[in-house]
Amino acid sequence: MPPAALSDIRVLDLSRPVGHYAGRLLADLGAEVIKVEPPEGDPARRWAPSLPGVPVIEASVPFVLLNANKRGVTLDLESDGGRSAFLRLLASADVLLESWTPNEAARLRLTDEVLRTARPDLIHASITGWGSTGPYAEWAYADIVANAMSGVMTLAGFVDGPPEQLPDHQGYHAASINAAAGVLAALLHRDATGEGQRVEASMLESLLMAEETAMQQADILGTDRARTGGQGALGFKMPGLGIYDTTDGHVYAMCTGSAGSGFPGLVQLMRALDGSTRLDEEPYASLIATSFNTSQLMGLMEDPARAPTVRAMLGEIEVEVIAFFGRHPKETIYVRGQELRVLVGAVNGPADILASAQLDARDWWRDIDDPARGRLRYPGFPWALAGTPATLRRPAPTLGQHTDEVLAEIGGTR
Amino acid sequence: MSSAPRALDGVKVLDLTWFGAGPIATRALANMGADVVRVETAKRPDGLRLVGPRPPGNVSLNASGYYNNFNAEKRSITIDLTTERGHELGLDLIRWADVMMTNMTMRAVRQIGMTWDVVQRTNPGIVAMYQPMQGLTGPHTEFVGFGAVLSAVCGVNGLAGFEGAPPIGVGSNYPDYVVNPMHAVIALLAALRHRRRIGEGQLIDMSQLESSVAALSTPVFAEANGAAYPRQGNRSPYAAPHGAYRTAEAADRADRWLVLACLEEAHWQAAARAMNHLEWATDVRFASVAARKANEDALDALVAAWATEQHGPTALGALQAAGVPAGLVQRASEVLADPHLKAREYYAYLDHPEPAVGVRAYDGPPVRLSATPVELRRAAPLLGEHTIEIATTILGLSEDEAATLIAEQVLH
Repeated sequence: MPPAALSDIRVLDLSRPVGHYAGRLLADLGAEVIKVEPPEGDPARRWAPSLPGVPVIEASVPFVLLNANKRGVTLDLESDGGRSAFLRLLASADVLLESWTPNEAARLRLTDEVLRTARPDLIHASITGWGSTGPYAEWAYADIVANAMSGVMTLAGFVDGPPEQLPDHQGYHAASINAAAGVLAALLHRDATGEGQRVEASMLESLLMAEETAMQQADILGTDRARTGGQGALGFKMPGLGIYDTTDGHVYAMCTGSAGSGFPGLVQLMRALDGSTRLDEEPYASLIATSFNTSQLMGLMEDPARAPTVRAMLGEIEVEVIAFFGRHPKETIYVRGQELRVLVGAVNGPADILASAQLDARDWWRDIDDPARGRLRYPGFPWALAGTPATLRRPAPTLGQHTDEVLAEIGGTR
Repeated sequence: MSSAPRALDGVKVLDLTWFGAGPIATRALANMGADVVRVETAKRPDGLRLVGPRPPGNVSLNASGYYNNFNAEKRSITIDLTTERGHELGLDLIRWADVMMTNMTMRAVRQIGMTWDVVQRTNPGIVAMYQPMQGLTGPHTEFVGFGAVLSAVCGVNGLAGFEGAPPIGVGSNYPDYVVNPMHAVIALLAALRHRRRIGEGQLIDMSQLESSVAALSTPVFAEANGAAYPRQGNRSPYAAPHGAYRTAEAADRADRWLVLACLEEAHWQAAARAMNHLEWATDVRFASVAARKANEDALDALVAAWATEQHGPTALGALQAAGVPAGLVQRASEVLADPHLKAREYYAYLDHPEPAVGVRAYDGPPVRLSATPVELRRAAPLLGEHTIEIATTILGLSEDEAATLIAEQVLH
């Protein structure tokens, strides 16, 4: 067994759901992660959906997913016994993950000074909605709230519908990913100097990069991007760009630039699957051969003499493209298209992803026998480190499963 | 900005990335103190140098806000790695580097001669990350795409939006910006730590597909294990009300939406009070999360009708004062001016060497470290801004040799 990158590191994970994935990532890299829950359990234990046939408090899909690889203890930090056990445990830990607001930390009497006294070289990571300073530091938060306030939601949705949140929990995931990166940087510094420090990641700041070009556009041009229903900002419908219906779902195509095989590659795919295509005939063939990418077409459209003809021709080409995609299943278009370096992807749902030949060939999925929940299939890791592979070593803890075991290790009882 | 020590001071990174997922990762390393040398070529510039937003009428390769935001604090050398001499210089940079990263397709990696066997042979101690769309092995290893194609394949499009609506995605190349670059940073830092402890470099095979699915794991894990997690629109499987609600039209601000998420019973009780509808808090249809989920259409209709009468910021203030998770859907200009981000000095305003660009806003650090700050100390480089500097230091060339190689379009 090759060594793990964090085999010598102990993490105490007191985070709320916003930080669960941070603890999971560090655990996947080999850290020993001890999840500390309040006596009634982490709030995510009660979140839907539930694994079928499992008692409620142990069945939560979000909880079981993001707390695998951790041991679990329950402590009441507001009781004297719980507090003293926590501080003893902290003295044995390299890293603390938590999600307190400044007022909560003060109320718990777990300020930076107290934590540093218990463990002078502690790496203390705060993972919250807003961060520990600024006017919103005490505000309540939720994933969708960070989606909204960060501006990413303003990009998503149809013009006549509401702005839309990102799927799954991207605010939570982003804050957790950034926190884990920060903890690793802090560990490198501690390894070199013996000095611990505070790490801080917030959902709001973690999602801001996902505004794509919206921030720079506002800064440079003074205009705001808005949701377009997937139509982009060209002002005309570019054939071969966007979502298309197939016999069994959808594909996304991006055959409009010089990347991959471009629009000529799409025409080649049409020829390959249908035998022939009208797009090989004039007047389409010469337009496609000479000037079929977004910037050149935008140039043609700016010429008032040519714009109406070009616009009409683009409409006719789009009709052919729509009909082509509509005749074939998405996986065929995707795989055959990619073989021709066409920038096209199947629009996959979870069931398609579970059936992916690529993920299968790479042995990506991780199966684990969970005594409390049966055999479970987990998504694999975000990377494959050849020298220090990530591992899934234990199922998510049942409530308080390791309390006695962990307290015994630090020479105490509840 | 400070001159404080940073966590990655002294770490040398060879940056062979382009577009989004790679450059954002190496930018984070630079902002943690690493010396990031970016190899580019005028023959085939980073695609983001070619697009906007940019100052009106400016077509310079140095003026793209999209590119500049992702490349702050790196150094740029132009080398045509497809030439024989250029490739030798590339290998010199491999020898120099502690870390190499690329997110090019393997086809492009082969064209520049930087496959793992070559890199490892040249510098056995290096940490090298390859981050193509679908990883280094498997039947789809050569598949191509950008974030928008990946969004379809990894499930963003299929999972975002409302049930029954076309899967248009989320209006951006989402996996490029946080999930894939910052997952990459985690792996690179873990490998650097291993290198310092054990003295070994390693290969990191990072599939952007796998990284993206790992961040859409809740619906996938549900599906794999017999639970259902359909498209949610703006809802949540475990909270209600949970959504975006249009507020009253204001003369100064059309299309304003309030978001609200009652994750706990206390949130709902407080929300009903803050909305001046105490009767909702005692309505049997809304007496628990399960009841509210079962009657969510009726619940959403009531909240939506209430919201249309509200001034957005006032409603937000009342809800947050009552402890309810709530926010407004901010536009980018509002985010730039957000008082919380201002108080936290999130954005960095850096003076770019291209005069037409000048002082511009850059996204701040993805994570904050108290003792070794993550911070942006320079703007993005001009294309080849540091060619001579790097050629005459790291590569050990004389100024004359560098000038000759520039003339020969090797340093190009």
